[in-house]
Amino acid sequence: MENEKNKLIQFRHIVKNFDDQQVLKGIDLDIYENEFVTLLGPSGCGKTTLLRILGGFIDPDGGEVIFDGKDIAKLPPYKRELNTVFQKYALFPHLNVYENIAFGLRLQKMSEDVIEQKVKKMLKLIGLEGYENKDVTLMSGGQQQRVAIARALVNEPSVLLLDEPLGALDLKLRKEMQYELKRIQQEVGITFIFVTHDQEEALTMSDKIVVMKEGEIMQVGTPEDIYNEPANAYVAKFVGESNLIPGRMIQDRLVRFNDTDFDCVDAGFRPQELVDVVIRPEDIDIVAPDAGKLQGTVESVLFKGVHYEVMVETIPGTHITVNMHVNRNEANEKQEGDLRISANNFYLDLEDMKDWDDADLIARADAQAWNAATDELLPIERVQTDLKDELGEYSVTFHTVDGLFITRKIWVIDQKVVENRKVNEAVSAFNFFKTPDEIQESIALDTDLKTWANAQAWKLDDENETVNLSVEYDFDPENIREGIYPVTFWTTGREFKIHTTDFVEEGRKVGLTFEPEDIHVMEKMGFSE
Amino acid sequence: MKRFRQLVIPYLAWSLVMLLLPMVLIAFYSFIKAGNSIVHFQLTLDNYLRFFTDRDFLIILWRSLAIALKTTGICLLLGYPIAYVISRSSEKVQQRLILAITLPMWINMLVRTYAWIGLLSAGGPVEWVLNLLHIPHGELLYTETAVLIGMVYNFLPFMILQIQTSLAKMDRSLLEAASDLGANGWQAFRKVTLPLSLPGVVSGITLVFLPAVSAFFIPKLLGGGQYFLIGNVIENQFITVGEWNFGSAISMIMAVLMMLLMMLVRRLDARGGRK
Repeated sequence: MENEKNKLIQFRHIVKNFDDQQVLKGIDLDIYENEFVTLLGPSGCGKTTLLRILGGFIDPDGGEVIFDGKDIAKLPPYKRELNTVFQKYALFPHLNVYENIAFGLRLQKMSEDVIEQKVKKMLKLIGLEGYENKDVTLMSGGQQQRVAIARALVNEPSVLLLDEPLGALDLKLRKEMQYELKRIQQEVGITFIFVTHDQEEALTMSDKIVVMKEGEIMQVGTPEDIYNEPANAYVAKFVGESNLIPGRMIQDRLVRFNDTDFDCVDAGFRPQELVDVVIRPEDIDIVAPDAGKLQGTVESVLFKGVHYEVMVETIPGTHITVNMHVNRNEANEKQEGDLRISANNFYLDLEDMKDWDDADLIARADAQAWNAATDELLPIERVQTDLKDELGEYSVTFHTVDGLFITRKIWVIDQKVVENRKVNEAVSAFNFFKTPDEIQESIALDTDLKTWANAQAWKLDDENETVNLSVEYDFDPENIREGIYPVTFWTTGREFKIHTTDFVEEGRKVGLTFEPEDIHVMEKMGFSE
Repeated sequence: MKRFRQLVIPYLAWSLVMLLLPMVLIAFYSFIKAGNSIVHFQLTLDNYLRFFTDRDFLIILWRSLAIALKTTGICLLLGYPIAYVISRSSEKVQQRLILAITLPMWINMLVRTYAWIGLLSAGGPVEWVLNLLHIPHGELLYTETAVLIGMVYNFLPFMILQIQTSLAKMDRSLLEAASDLGANGWQAFRKVTLPLSLPGVVSGITLVFLPAVSAFFIPKLLGGGQYFLIGNVIENQFITVGEWNFGSAISMIMAVLMMLLMMLVRRLDARGGRK
């Protein structure tokens, strides 16, 4: 199909800016005759903008749109040989079904019997015979949709543009219209350019899918290509479900991930190149532990109708345990008449010493002042401290306007960091001080524990990418007393998602197996995106 | 829902008393003899006969209808393009332009009409401009033209606002669709914008024609008492002459006439709107 002769539309380095944002960053794309092409991507990826540029409703800031060998970038919409089905149909409310469909024909000054013949033929194609005189505003979404398609197709364009035309329909009607559209396209034999954010819709209908992200094309290919051979992690994540694992190419047809070398079918990477590996959930089989290529524990099982979605942890996560020192309520509090002030001792990381201010210290000590009679909070007016940029023990004093103050300790330490190279992450947390009151008053204790301990987890190769932390403790927050309690923060390790029709119990040790051709190795996405 | 329906009763009663009762009284007065009271009265058609047999009154009626029609026509021709331009501008500009149009309405209509006396009087600014441009002209003030200017000036905002509202409501994507189907700018206007703005045009016509036909102080001030319209006649009958019954009859005739005219306009609109 893809030969030079029947290239119908060529986008040549299309650029478009809205305000100071570049929504299309130089799009190059060829579209052939009689193709069903889908522009697929999340909202804001530029797919609709590209379609509207082709329709003539938006002028590109740069580049050429070549249609049938001619640059049409400067041509107004009414001179272009293509028609559009709009997102909300845009049917003319003052015209009935017949006149809506006849709109374009009347502009071409066709004779009345030719118009009637063509409109009737269209009504038959869309399955709305006998609806000629219906008021379009009183029709259902699906019927309006069909009229909109007929109104565009009756002009016999060589290309039909469809801007998320199924977005407003309910799921069942959507599915029906998907088949309907495909049938119409095959019957009239013209190019359809279809915009959607629904990957399933794209896979069902298209001859060719164009996956877009932030104004750039990520991949162009058949639905099979896009699903089985995604060009990068973005496409793999956007189309279908997938397990994405960081890996390293040892040599051609040998990739290393999860500390194991696997045979695969991919080649052409540099030796030792860092890559992303994708394995689709349905390509993994659960077997006995010793029969598997990977071993792990079943973390969760979800019933999804046709199959179970099983999560298997193959590499344990990262754990860090800190001490929570619980002091008597009174130890942290001072009073003078009705006025109260409270603050906690706390630890500071030497690394954080570069920039801190009074507000940080107040927050870290959780320093508060209030009037016990009126329950009114009082401001902390002044903070005094001998804090220095060195390891050691310091003191800090918080003052209110009324002369009430409390002095607490600060320990500057090297923060404990646990690195886990296997899953490429690090976790850190502090010991911390609390009173029973503070613990009991907490509404979301897990979140508060993370804040109090300043618990954090991040990717080793990118400090800005945070990793989710879970909390574990074995004290009873309602009846907590003075003492030292361990609190553990942990991350989920490497999990694999498996789709299987066989049930597995949670907590069971299992093996995972897959074939070399199920492993798909992709180049790492660059930082240019 | 049923319980809440009862809440409408006070409003209904209020509307009956305040809207319907005066109208019933006017109709009643038009059918009784002068000097009668609500208790002792004698029915008659004399008041109506008097109007239709006096040539002068019929000429005044004809003149009133003619000038109201001219006013409406001019307002439509001026108002539609202005409304169109407003509805095409950005949100911010739209708000400002609409404010500019409604701003004069904050000042009393009578005062603004007085201002036109000054503008149109001999040696006034309008005459000065006309002389500067060497446009031949006669007396400006106290002519039909002056009355027409006053009416258009006062009623134009109603026309603009009505049309602008209906244009602003129109979905822009309809114009894109028209363009996509091969319509150039003019064709898209004629086949989409114009038919969809007709409801606004009709209510604009109604809002201009009705007050214009019964206006009385604009012709009084700018026509200088020489240019008598039906509104002035009614005013005279009630205030100067004191013949309430005859005045009521003229009012009734006008009301019926207006009703018929509006029915005609609405029917035309319904035909134009849907093919």
